[in-house]
Amino acid sequence: MECAYNVGTMAEVLGTFEQAVLLEVLRLRDEAYGRAILKAVQERLERELAAGAVHATLERLEGKGLLASRLGPGTDIRAGRARRFYRLQPAGVRALNDARRTFNNIWRGVKWPVMARESL
Amino acid sequence: MNTPHSDARLPHSDARPPHSDARPPHSDARPPHSDARPPRWAESILRVLLNPHDRETVSGDLLEEYRDTIVPTRGRAADLWYIRQVAWYLLRASWMWGTLMGAALVLRYLLDTLVPAADYRMRATVLSWTILAACMLTGFVTAWRTRSMRAGVLASTTAATIAAIVSIVGAAMMLAVWHDAVTLEEWRRSGGLGEAFIDVPLELIALGITLGIPGAALGKGVTRRVTLSG
Repeated sequence: MECAYNVGTMAEVLGTFEQAVLLEVLRLRDEAYGRAILKAVQERLERELAAGAVHATLERLEGKGLLASRLGPGTDIRAGRARRFYRLQPAGVRALNDARRTFNNIWRGVKWPVMARESL
Repeated sequence: MNTPHSDARLPHSDARPPHSDARPPHSDARPPHSDARPPRWAESILRVLLNPHDRETVSGDLLEEYRDTIVPTRGRAADLWYIRQVAWYLLRASWMWGTLMGAALVLRYLLDTLVPAADYRMRATVLSWTILAACMLTGFVTAWRTRSMRAGVLASTTAATIAAIVSIVGAAMMLAVWHDAVTLEEWRRSGGLGEAFIDVPLELIALGITLGIPGAALGKGVTRRVTLSG
């Protein structure tokens, strides 16, 4: 898919959950298909997620040109149904870098963990 | 049935695939839950609600998670997990329209309570058209996205049910706040409590079904036309 994503506004557009999904696609490499991404994001965020939330995010990120997908063969455990494998696109890599840079800028000069007295 | 998974999973082998922790350590070569099936009706609803692009892959992901992780860890409650996943897709298609319709109804009740009118026909007309449009649009958009009429009608009916629940809760909350004699009289003049708590919710659901059908037919028709001309 042709990248039509505005990298300049990436930090505003890319949410935390989207970042989590993109990073798991990056970590899983050639094994990044829907169910594997779901499990990885759940483990990373330490909470149960609706599978639909991950699928909807993958669809949205693909629509934005940050991910591309291809179909792979199914397995018996999924009744032979195909798997959709995702991979990061250059725009996705830029989006992640931009999000990380913004995150670092926001936190620069603040000690972590933030103490109650500092927040007053 | 022998599966590719079972070939790779030898008893007592250290070379276990990822996500295999949930399985019994001494399982035989065959994955113990590879034949487990979620409720057929839930699977049918899921497949109807998915767009054709994702129908196979997403339903396959859910089935794999159900068999490989959920059934071994939750047993009989696994079906509930699956139903919750399907409900997510159904609510995704309908919650916004349902909330819109419910909010319109509560707004109408609020207006009738706080700004009584001599003639309620104008308010009734605006509300009726809002609900008609929302029901048809729900059916249209869902059928257009999924290319399925059944999905459109299902989403429209669910949206109307959500609206009915929102309106009942809204009306009850309003009555909890304003229940003096004058307000109750205004309620009676604009239709009465029975209308707010029984008639309107039931009519809404009936409208969701009946108006979802033409909306969905239109949505599917547009999709077919676009596909043919493309």
